[in-house]
Formats: sequence, structure tokens, C-alpha cells
Amino acid sequence: MSAPAAASRAEARRGPFPWDLLGVVVLAIIAAFTPDLLRFVFDRASVSYLSIASNALSLAILALSWDMLARTGNLSLAHAAFYGAGAYTTALLVKHADVPLWLGIPLGGVVAVAFALLLGSFTLRLRGIYFAIATLAFAEVLKSVVHHAPTDFAGGNAGMNVPALFRPVFIAGEMERWEVAYMRNEAYFYVYAGLLVATVLASILLQRSRLRHAMTAMRTNEEVAGVMGVRATRVKLLAFTLSSAFVGMLGAVEAHRVGSVLPEQSFSVATTVLALVTPIFGGLYTTLGPIVGAFGLSSVQELLRRTFADGYLIGYGVVLVLTILFMPRGVVGTLGTFFRRRRKGAQR
Amino acid sequence: MDLNLLAQALVSGILAAGLYALVSVGLALAIGVIGIVNFAHGEFFMIGAFLAYQLFVSFGIDPVWSLLLVAPALGLIGALIYTSTIRFVLKAPELNQMLLTFGIGIILTNMALLIWGGDPRTIAGIAYRSIGYQVGGVSIGLVPLASFVISFTLVLGLYWMLARTPIGRAMRAVAQNRTGAALVGLEVNRVYLVAFALSAALAGIGGVMIAVIQSPTPGVGLAFTLKAFAIVVVAGLGNIRGVLFASLFVAISESLVATLVPNGDTLRNAVFFAIIFAVLVWRSRRVA
Repeated sequence: MSAPAAASRAEARRGPFPWDLLGVVVLAIIAAFTPDLLRFVFDRASVSYLSIASNALSLAILALSWDMLARTGNLSLAHAAFYGAGAYTTALLVKHADVPLWLGIPLGGVVAVAFALLLGSFTLRLRGIYFAIATLAFAEVLKSVVHHAPTDFAGGNAGMNVPALFRPVFIAGEMERWEVAYMRNEAYFYVYAGLLVATVLASILLQRSRLRHAMTAMRTNEEVAGVMGVRATRVKLLAFTLSSAFVGMLGAVEAHRVGSVLPEQSFSVATTVLALVTPIFGGLYTTLGPIVGAFGLSSVQELLRRTFADGYLIGYGVVLVLTILFMPRGVVGTLGTFFRRRRKGAQR
Repeated sequence: MDLNLLAQALVSGILAAGLYALVSVGLALAIGVIGIVNFAHGEFFMIGAFLAYQLFVSFGIDPVWSLLLVAPALGLIGALIYTSTIRFVLKAPELNQMLLTFGIGIILTNMALLIWGGDPRTIAGIAYRSIGYQVGGVSIGLVPLASFVISFTLVLGLYWMLARTPIGRAMRAVAQNRTGAALVGLEVNRVYLVAFALSAALAGIGGVMIAVIQSPTPGVGLAFTLKAFAIVVVAGLGNIRGVLFASLFVAISESLVATLVPNGDTLRNAVFFAIIFAVLVWRSRRVA
């Protein structure tokens, strides 16, 4: 009996080594030390680097949550609606109810899920392009409704102010001015990191469960999947729930970080565009792909933003077109094929 | 209810329907013949508008003459985009096709933002812009009327072309069965190229007209992509003939809401999307 066969039998008994879970632990540890490391290396400039790092984490959450729904074969163009629902929930809570600030974040997720289930149950039978257009229409209607809600309720066109989650106090003599900004950004960074870890865990659990196969079957052909015993309605609504919960919470956190909510900004089509370009660039239907895409695109964006003021989104268009034409399976998919080929070549 | 107001709303709706039909029929052509759901369609429209603006500002060319210049220019741009990108995803999954055109749309919008900035651009100082007629208490502007007549003529011309001419017949054949059309000797790729260029040119002509009717910003592209989608969806994807009626339906409902609902003018967009959403959901339930 050869050694590989024994190893694979042992593997079958214990299950394959959980590389993905180990990856999460490593990522969490790296994230835990990132602020101090940045501060050590860049000193005062670390304030802005921390905020760039937070943007990257935020993009990763946005992209990964979108991908969880895309796995069922539904290209949603309503991600901005869930994001905006989360943002407006926390803003409305602050304005109209006397509750602790942090409560707006989980409740933002809950409200986003409510809207997602509403949209999901209406669009159960829509496929492909019809689903895409219907979700886009839903997002735009929600934007208009928020825009035209009574001004004293939701602020109308001018939006609402949202207080910051963290207000470090400046103590003269004990610290420098910039350290206040550093402490604030550090706190937000940890919130984003925590949310990303939660999103990644959800995504991994989904990929490890039987739902992964149900989703793949639905993506290939929903009718056939239904015949084979996949409860398509349930799986789809579950995907809607998970996807919107995380992006709703993200919207709420970002509302606090930015300090305001506006209909045009909170429900911007640009949010939806980012949510779908990132996983496509990184690699669809995986946990790693959207994260790789987020870090790659954030770097590109920082470079572009410094060069152009107005139309820097053009970079996303170029990335999208080039990805579809030259590596339709994204960075992760393309690299995976490349390494598999090399390994095969080495064996021969 | 003020009858005059109602009549005015109806007339404005009908006049707007012409332009909507012109833009949507191009999109329906791309979907029906090539099978490409073109999310960048409105950007051809937007480029048409800004070309007309630039021709006016740089060379003093009246938008009426721009119509003749912009149409071939947009046809050329459409042909270039088809040969450089769309051609390669004809057999790719629907998702990839949609995302590709989405990406092209983002590039075109942001290119316009880089060139012209985000402010509205007006073609100022054209005499006929302010001419209007009064017909029994209903006022009709010359420009909307002319745009309606031009659009309507072009749409009917397209219908005639599809019905009677060899290239139109070829398009219908390719739409019905790509392989079959190739087997009887049609150059499918060339038919697609012509259809896509034509689709872009029609949108460009519409753009020239919007440049005179409104003061467009680069954002007008996405707005009209969505309007055209609303109309094409109401007509049924790929149904080119239904576009005319769907345009009337959508434009009139938009105009009625804008006029009759208090503060309705800003709700225009919501009407469009509510119609799309309702039609899609209703159809999906009825079929099952």
C-alpha cells in the first residue's frame, strides 16, 4: 500500500485539514496587530493609512456579502439598497429614539434583512437579466422613497447627521493632537475587522455545508435543482438574509464613520457596482476571491484617486472589461488553474 | 380635476414617448437580434448629447445639422465597441455579457466626466428653442414636437427596414436562429455588427435631441439606460414592435404622475422603476 493512499484514507476519516479556518485565524491575528504596526512604521501618517485599510476591509465585506447571494445564480443589483437601509436605520434611531449608538448596527442589519426578504419573496421566480433589472428597480424605488419621505422624518435631500461611534478625548500634555484621530481610526478599523471576520466565517460555513452544493446546482439550473430535491426558495431566501445582514451592518457602521446619510450617497449605484466588480475581479463564488479582489482594487483606487479627481471610477470599468475578456474566472480562479497545471507538469 | 392640465400632461407624455421609443428601440434591437443585454446603451445616447454640445461650442454647428454628423459617429463607436469587446462574449454566460456592457458603460460615463465634468451643459442661444404653439389651452414646444416627429419617423423607418429590406430580413433570420441563418449563408457576425452600430446610432440621434430639450449631465446616460430598460421590459425583451406602445404607456404614466401628484415632478424616476418592478413581478407570477 502506497503512502498517498493511506494519507487520503486518514484524510477521509478526519476530513481535510481546515486551511480556510486557519486562514481566518491568521487574518484576525494580522488585523489585530495592523494598527500598531502602521503606527510604528509611519508614525503620524498612520492616521490616513488606517483609514485606507478600513476602506479595504469595508470593500471586502461589501463584496463577500454580495457574493454569498450570487452563489445561488442571482446577480443582484440591489446591494446598495441593503447598505442604505442599514445606514438610514441607525441614523433614524439616533434622531428619533434614545438608544445607545451601537444598537443601530445590529438593527441596521435586521432592517436590511427585512427589505431583502421582501425583495427576495417578490423576485423568487425571476431569472438572469429579469432578476437583475427587478433588483435594480427595487433599489431605485427605495432611494426615491427615502428621498421623498417627510423632511422632518428622514431629512429628504439633505439627509441626516450621524454622530461618530468613538470620540477619544484629547488630554493636553499626555498625547499629541494626531493621536486623537489615530485612536478614532483604530477603533473603526477593529470594528471593520470584526465584521469582516464574521462575514468570512459565515461564508466559510456556507461553503463547508451541503448548502454549497445546493447553491451550485441552483446556479447551473434552478428548475433541475428543484427536481433533485434542493429547496430552492429556502436556499435563496437564506442567501438573501446572510448577504443583506452583513451589508446592512456595514452600511450602519459607515454612516457613523462618514458622519451623515444622504439618499444619493447611501443608495448610490456606485455601491452596487463596487459590490459586483470586486468579486468578479477576485474570483466569483469563493470566500477568498472577493477578499483578494477588495485588497487589489483598493490599492488601484488609491492610486487613481490621487491622479484623477472626478472620474476615477473609470478604473473600475477598465478592470471589469479586462477581467471579463481575459480572465473570466477572476484572479483566484486564474491563479488556481495556473498552479494546478504546473503541478501536473511537475508530476509528468 | 382641471381638464386643461390633464390634456397638457397627456400631450407632454405623448411627445416624450417619441424620444423614449427611439432610444428603446435600439436597445430592443441589440437584445432581440444579438442577444446582448446592453447596459451601456444609454451612454451612446449621452455621448450623442455631448458631441452635439461640443460641435455647437467649438464650431457653432446647429444641433439640426449635428444629427447628420453624430449618427455616423456613434455608429462607428458602436462598431468599434462591438469588434473590440462584445464579439468575444457572444457565447459567454449571460452574467459575463451583462457585466461587460456594465463595465463599458462605467468607462464611457467616467470618460465624459473627465472631459466635460459633472455640470449640466446647455446649448444656449438657439432661436427655435423657445418657440411654442398654443392649441386650445395646451402649449406645445417646437423642439419636443420636432423630436417626436423625427423619432417617430426613424422608428417607423426601422420597422420598415426590418420588414422589407435584405439586411432587415437578415437581422430577423439571425434573431430567430443563429445557426440556421449561418447555414443558409448569412454572415452572422456582419449582421450583428450592423445591428449594434445601428442601435448605437439611433441612441446617438436621441442624444442630440436631449441636448436641445434639456441641459444634460454625464449622468443622463444611466438614467436613459434605465428608462429604455423599463420600456423594453414592458414590451417584453426582444420584442421590437411592442416598444412603440410600451413607450407611450411609460411616458404617459410618467407625465401624469409628474403633473397630477403634488410634488410629483421629482417622483418621475420612482414611477419608472415601480412600473418595471411591478411588470416583472406580475409576469413572473402569471407564467407560473
